[in-house]
Amino acid sequence: MKTNRQTALNCLAIMAVAIVVDGALRSALAQNPFGGPPAAPDAQIGGIVGWLMTKQSEFYREMSATIRAAKADGSAVWTLLAISFAYGIFHAAGPGHGKTVISSYLVANEETARRGIVLSFVSALMQSLIAVLIVGIGAWLLNVTAKTMCGAERAIEIASYTLIAAFGVRLVWSKGGGLIRALQSSYGRSAPTIAPVLAHATAFHHDHGHHSHDHGGHEHHHHDRGPAHATVARDRVSGHEHAEHREHGHVHDEHCGHSHGPEPSQLSGPGGWRRGFSAVLTVGIRPCSGAILVLVFALAQGLFWAGIAATFVMGLGTAITVATIAIIAVSAKGLARRITAGRGGSGALVMHGVEFAAAGMVLLFGVGLLLGYIAAERVTCF
Amino acid sequence: MRGARLGRAGTGGQPIKSRSACERPWQSQWGVNVNALMRLLLHLLSASAALALSSGAAQAHPHVWVTAASELIFAADGSITGIRHAWTFDDMFSTYALQGIAAKKKGTYSREELAPLAQTNMDSLKEYGFFTFAKVNGQKQPFQKPADYFLEYRDSTLVLHFTLPFKTPIKTKQLAVEIFDPTYFVDFALQKQNPIRLVGAPAACATTIQRPNDGAAAAQKLGEASFLNGSNSNYGAMFANKINVDCP
Repeated sequence: MKTNRQTALNCLAIMAVAIVVDGALRSALAQNPFGGPPAAPDAQIGGIVGWLMTKQSEFYREMSATIRAAKADGSAVWTLLAISFAYGIFHAAGPGHGKTVISSYLVANEETARRGIVLSFVSALMQSLIAVLIVGIGAWLLNVTAKTMCGAERAIEIASYTLIAAFGVRLVWSKGGGLIRALQSSYGRSAPTIAPVLAHATAFHHDHGHHSHDHGGHEHHHHDRGPAHATVARDRVSGHEHAEHREHGHVHDEHCGHSHGPEPSQLSGPGGWRRGFSAVLTVGIRPCSGAILVLVFALAQGLFWAGIAATFVMGLGTAITVATIAIIAVSAKGLARRITAGRGGSGALVMHGVEFAAAGMVLLFGVGLLLGYIAAERVTCF
Repeated sequence: MRGARLGRAGTGGQPIKSRSACERPWQSQWGVNVNALMRLLLHLLSASAALALSSGAAQAHPHVWVTAASELIFAADGSITGIRHAWTFDDMFSTYALQGIAAKKKGTYSREELAPLAQTNMDSLKEYGFFTFAKVNGQKQPFQKPADYFLEYRDSTLVLHFTLPFKTPIKTKQLAVEIFDPTYFVDFALQKQNPIRLVGAPAACATTIQRPNDGAAAAQKLGEASFLNGSNSNYGAMFANKINVDCP
């Protein structure tokens, strides 16, 4: 009993730490996140975030000198790539809307860590590509001024924020439905039977054969699932619910020893990837201001190719950090689900609440960015 | 034990074949605490949401570095009429800003060639209040439109010169001026030697300077920064250069 309690407390603590660290990473407030006294005054800004900021500033400032050095000594390009990689890692670890949107999306939907990793890499790659395209077309081909390029960046930025908000609306809509159904079934039925979540889940059931018994509010634990996955393709078509419940089962299995990786068909379901890529698109089209500056600088030094290489290496670093945060987010949710798993309707309600909150976060971010309440990394326009 | 508990939630008669230790604890220990747990989760979520929102301003790390040297201009009657800045941009930003600007002579840019860029600078900086904030007794002192602005190309960097005249000349014993970017996209550092000059000031006037790397300034500003203050603007204040002009 004692050890059980210990395990439970440990798991809860890990989850709490994961969520708080994630939140702290997204915020560069030097303050104690919960309003406590500020961090050590001798550092300009305290804590992990302050250190991250100092580091990325250092790396970033070294870039221009390194590119200049590379003009005379080609081997300095290697230094440039190393700095860019480190910069990418540190830059993404700081606060930014990109990883917030991606992580929130992953939490709102039942996504696997593996998919989170792939999406992180795709979005970082896309960001790098867009930066290279803007500077390649704008500065190299057309030789427009910085002001003109900046105008293009601004247009892309607004498009990106609009897409995030629209994507948020869509998530809130679908997750809100799930939450309302869970609420209805939870309050509508006080009878001590399984019904709560099953009730809402069945609203969406058609003929899933083996599958339907899986939806019992995450109750089922270890029955043989046999050919359940055969119905994957059909599930996708009929909504998120199925995908979710199936993967609930998956998570349990993994945690408790008889792990099986996600079937390829699960990952490549028609709706799933498309939805994932729309998440990536919303954030990936907005290039990083730092990359644009580096590219223009490299171009002016006659080392455009080195700037391009640096941009992609930067993207690689960014992807690693974003993927890590995505894994933390997915794991935290998995943990939360395991904690609530035995609680039937109310446990499911918590998970629906979490998903809805994550969806709301995406919407809030999109709207906040659009209206300027959330200042993203500024476009260099002056 | 578990079977009995789950009976409440009902497993639909599914026999439980195996249980591993990792799923039992919550059921036995947290059985009655789902509500508390839900509250905890919601609390954590709203806390992260609040953090994420309030930290918006902090998203940037500096991408542009400015070395500032400024002059406070006094009228004959001892009132302060304005601030004249000379801001030297860093290597990378200077190069970026010069992108697409044609020069007759390669490797150098005349004031005339840079005039459109200087105009762009003034138009854009307006949105940020020229990163210059003047106060008398805590009262913000408004500026007029900038005057005498031009860019100079010096040692492959750009130097932006401009004057911010006060709306009304200020006659005061103490003027406080801060130079910083609230969102910290631009890092301002006062130049090492003699960064603030008083032009035409009465002999008794003196300046004191607090640079942002001065721990005391950072600590004070941290105290002032608060959650969700709505303005998103406190963050960069930690990196403010504070100048006090005392004319006793």
